[in-house]
Amino acid sequence: MSFGEFLLSNLTEFWHLTGFYNATWQHFVMLAVGLFFIWLAIKKNFEPMLLVPIGFGMLIGNIPFNTEAGLEIGIYEQGSVLNILYNGVSAGWYPPLIFLGIGAMTDFSALIANPKLMLIGAAAQFGIFGAYIVALALGFAPDQAGAIAIIGGADGPTAIFLSSKLAPNLMGAIAVSAYSYMALVPVIQPPIMRLFTTKKERLIKMRPARAVAQSEKIIFPIVGMILTCFVVPSGIPLLGMLFFGNLLRECGVTTRLAKTASNALTDIVTILLGMTVGASTQASEFLTTQTIFIFFLGFMAFIIASSSGVLFVKLFNLVLPKDKKINPLIGNAGVSAVPMSARISNNLGLEYDPSNYLLMHAMGPNVAGVIGSAVAAGVLLGFLA
Amino acid sequence: MKKTILLLMAALIGGTLSLSAQARRALKINEVMVENTTNFVDDFGQRHGWIELFNSAHAPLEISSVYLTDDPANPTKYPVPLGDVNTKVPKRQHILFWADGNPSHGTFHLNFTLKAGQDNWIGLYEADGQTLIDSITVPAALTANQTFARRADGEGTGVEAWEIRNDEGDKYVTPSSNNIIRDTNNKVDMFRVNDEHGFAMAVMAMAIVFSALLVLALCFLGISKLGARRMRESKAKAHGIDTDVEAAPEHDSGEEIAAIGMALYQHLNAHDQESTILTINKVKRAYSPWSSKIYGLRELPRR
Repeated sequence: MSFGEFLLSNLTEFWHLTGFYNATWQHFVMLAVGLFFIWLAIKKNFEPMLLVPIGFGMLIGNIPFNTEAGLEIGIYEQGSVLNILYNGVSAGWYPPLIFLGIGAMTDFSALIANPKLMLIGAAAQFGIFGAYIVALALGFAPDQAGAIAIIGGADGPTAIFLSSKLAPNLMGAIAVSAYSYMALVPVIQPPIMRLFTTKKERLIKMRPARAVAQSEKIIFPIVGMILTCFVVPSGIPLLGMLFFGNLLRECGVTTRLAKTASNALTDIVTILLGMTVGASTQASEFLTTQTIFIFFLGFMAFIIASSSGVLFVKLFNLVLPKDKKINPLIGNAGVSAVPMSARISNNLGLEYDPSNYLLMHAMGPNVAGVIGSAVAAGVLLGFLA
Repeated sequence: MKKTILLLMAALIGGTLSLSAQARRALKINEVMVENTTNFVDDFGQRHGWIELFNSAHAPLEISSVYLTDDPANPTKYPVPLGDVNTKVPKRQHILFWADGNPSHGTFHLNFTLKAGQDNWIGLYEADGQTLIDSITVPAALTANQTFARRADGEGTGVEAWEIRNDEGDKYVTPSSNNIIRDTNNKVDMFRVNDEHGFAMAVMAMAIVFSALLVLALCFLGISKLGARRMRESKAKAHGIDTDVEAAPEHDSGEEIAAIGMALYQHLNAHDQESTILTINKVKRAYSPWSSKIYGLRELPRR
């Protein structure tokens, strides 16, 4: 082989390894979707902590390369760095770590002061099972339907955890759909809240919550974990970590651990989770009609969840004494998009009465929604795994 | 200090041992062939009776140093040797031992054989040689190439959980493989058939979610009542009020507390007179271009 031929053959081989040679139109579509997510996060400030890692992950995961070259670079190639990082998603151990952080940063006082608000968090989970019914009607198998329906819980880590167990092939689309709708909560929920409430109901002023003793805050995660996990043992990974994180926060003697769990650990896992979930949405897996259905079902689930929370409060008010009525504007907060949905309740309440602050009342169903969606995930896992 | 370390070590060792013992109980005798004339062949190309064990746990299980025996009076007849990587059984998987009476052929060749035409008792003992993990009596009725197998892998107790398999119909002889061959998820199939529209799932799951949170709510209603009462009592005690005589208010409104707080703040921190003294201290910073970061780094952009 002459020197020229040697050069040419190597350069040709290299050309075959480049992204330009291996690119398909699907890759460019996915790169555009990734860029759109990054634009949404930076320009529109929609959940930037999640959409920037997911969006950039989409760019990383959709750089075309020769998959047959055995370079161990792709997220689905065993032994590659991305594959090792992706293990936290595929084996489902990132979500419980995120739940540890959520527990460590959540103040359950509003819920402890007014435990009946927990039922709103339960009612909003109807979004999950409403979407399950629709998913079955669209032809999904029960396990796939369960994995998709959990989007209605409005909880990204729970959606990833459950889909990694029930329908791993749909996980990328489910995760992206869940996080997208969580980012769009301020757009989706207010019209629903207005639709199902009267002006009089929106003006209901709730009694201020009582002060909660420190001992109650310490008992809550212990009793909460034991009770909920006894009912749904399959929820142990999520509920156990959630309540453990909360105990670290409230017990007063593990401040350092609580700080690490709620800051450094959560940040690290969020970066890895977001980036690998984004990278897992490869064109061949993502650009299917199933993905369109999943996005449609996720939207349905969010609407049903928000509506059922609001309607449940209205129903609940029928049996509550006049001075203990609940403002139905906090019903939407039963989905566990913490604290965004509670903030929406507050903003809408202030829109109709500038002195009606609903934030702390809405935090009750909001954190109950976190527990509720983890319980719902445990139920689906128990029935279908 | 020494005592604490000793206690910790004892707890650790105790915990490890109990965990190991607990895990070993997951090991089950799963299928047995006494006489093999046309069935599975070993690595030496020979046919012998075999005993299949099943790890019913959802975690890998190291089985070295457990004992297999055909004699209740000699529970330590065949110790599974140490140092063979293959004695680690993956979760929900099988391992096969050849009852050829020839242990020199390797780890999985027992030092006893099974006798055709008579009952064969087989025992599986823990490493202590005393704790029986599992046992089965293979009936004498078993003919050549038939197996005595659990109906479902690792499940059931007593002889009712076992059946004779002759490789006909669905009674497969399955050395080193599942006794029930499943190609679908039973639970999913059950829901697919019996709950076509998902209503049963919705009702059941919502009932469970509601009951879980209702139990929690009821529990905390009780706890919050106790807590509120305790707070009232301690507050009354601090103010020297007899709770039996004067009932304390049910709760303190946040607005009331804020108003009281503001009034106290104004009363105690009224800034009518300021000191009017201004102090300016010279700030000294030793500068060296070698330690300066301004040339290499800049502040992160903030919006």
